[in-house]
Amino acid sequence: MLFTSSIFLVFSVLFFLIYWVFSRFSLLCQNGWLLIGSYIFYGWTNWMLLFILVAVSSVNFLCGRRIINKSKIVKPILFFGILFNVGTLVYFKYANFFIESFRDIFGPSHLENLSTAKLIIPLGISYYTFRNISYLLDISREKYKPVKNWLVYYNYVSFFPSLLAGPIDRANNFVPQLILPRKFDKEGIKNGLRQFLWGLFKKIVIADNCAIVTDAIFDSSNAQSGSSILVGLFIYTLQIYADFSGYSDMAIGTARMLGFNLVKNFNFPLYSKSIPEFWRKWHISLTSWLSEYIFTPLNIAFRNLGRLGIVLAIVINFTICGIWHGANTNYIVFGFVHGLFFIPSVLKFPRLQDFLTRRYEFVNDLLGFLATFLTVMFTFAIFKAKSITIAIDYYLLLFSRSIWTVPTFSSGKTHVAMVLLLCISLLVFEWYQRNREHGLTIHTLPKHRAWRWVIYSAILFTICFLMPRSNSPFIYTNF
Amino acid sequence: MTEIIEQINFLARDVFENDNLIVNESTKASEIEEWDSLTHIMLVVAIEKHFGIRFSAREIQSWDNVGELSDSIKMKIVK
Repeated sequence: MLFTSSIFLVFSVLFFLIYWVFSRFSLLCQNGWLLIGSYIFYGWTNWMLLFILVAVSSVNFLCGRRIINKSKIVKPILFFGILFNVGTLVYFKYANFFIESFRDIFGPSHLENLSTAKLIIPLGISYYTFRNISYLLDISREKYKPVKNWLVYYNYVSFFPSLLAGPIDRANNFVPQLILPRKFDKEGIKNGLRQFLWGLFKKIVIADNCAIVTDAIFDSSNAQSGSSILVGLFIYTLQIYADFSGYSDMAIGTARMLGFNLVKNFNFPLYSKSIPEFWRKWHISLTSWLSEYIFTPLNIAFRNLGRLGIVLAIVINFTICGIWHGANTNYIVFGFVHGLFFIPSVLKFPRLQDFLTRRYEFVNDLLGFLATFLTVMFTFAIFKAKSITIAIDYYLLLFSRSIWTVPTFSSGKTHVAMVLLLCISLLVFEWYQRNREHGLTIHTLPKHRAWRWVIYSAILFTICFLMPRSNSPFIYTNF
Repeated sequence: MTEIIEQINFLARDVFENDNLIVNESTKASEIEEWDSLTHIMLVVAIEKHFGIRFSAREIQSWDNVGELSDSIKMKIVK
């Protein structure tokens, strides 16, 4: 079930009504209904996947219960738990990739007995696996105590707003919210609705309209010019941002309407002035997860190598970040390249940087912003392409003479012009809002209530008016 | 300020390239702009070299403030 589907509208209204009625009775009723709702939401498209979700939750809950004291079995249990989670993820998500890569290298006759077609990737597996791994690691390090109540733990793993595409909440933030009853809070619900509306706008109006243009450009790149690819990459950058941050806004907004506070997942990353700053603001819950459980242990292990050790830790960390996105060489290359972009920041000279910042702050900021935006935009070619060969074709076109030609678009010039206008409007509007909680934090802005309702009505009208006939699924629910 | 804290302060100024930095027992990494996950490890390396000690990965990730870091150093030196 997706946030943009009509069935979700019916589900959410019924679910919310019962949820808040149950809040009058007991915490058990509230948490019980929350878990039922999460399973209905998850199992709607394929109920068979529920078995995997329940099995994974059960194994991790039981492992957590065994890590309850400093006994000798803590390490074997932790090892088993991590192996189980990583094994499940690798089996469902990467098995086909490994078999196909093996056949590509050693010939099609190898691994003949293994079929690559029948595996279905369970939705959200990358997200809930990371939740489970961080829980086991944290309790083994005694950062917090294991969860005693199975209903609380199963809700932590399966919480439907963040189940399919994050944010990847840690247990120390989320579990305490499940242990206390949620109280009906009118302001929280209103703020949640605002954030949901902003996410819906970004997804339906911006991302889905961008998708029509980028699909037309990149699905037939051979017939395109460098200039069309350039425009396509600009639109794709805004599409992927609007798609994923839109999903996160809807997830956080929905959670808020249920009385939960999820971690922020995007902090207006397109205005970053460096690649490290971009990654501190893009998919924050994943990058902070990787930073804590991959980068920091590697950095500690390599600490005697000095700056080389830091570079190694960063490059490995970002390559894993790329692999996390899926079983495709493109994602691995994308992560690796972004890891390399960190090298200048590791070899930085703070005193020189301070001097430049003090003397030429505006120029420094503007150049930093443009360089970061263009770097991210150009590397999204690797992300968008179906293979590395196709990505190289995009780059060859970008550096050919056709970059100076007038771009042509099969989706129609008027539509492309409208999409460009929408992209620029989004950039301007969010720039103005960049220091606020989310894009539609406007309840503190105009003093007159009527102005706010004009904005809400305009957004709703735009959603209805510019909604494409067929809405595309969220990009990040595939990861 | 104890002698160990004074030496941490000296090393932190060098690692963070901030001559005006002052840390005390209650100082947390989050309170100092230059103290992030990268510079934290650089500070640890500087401390290990200076005191001739070696921390475990668990210790490095366990300190909440400079006071706890100082206690860890004290225990290693006594041993």
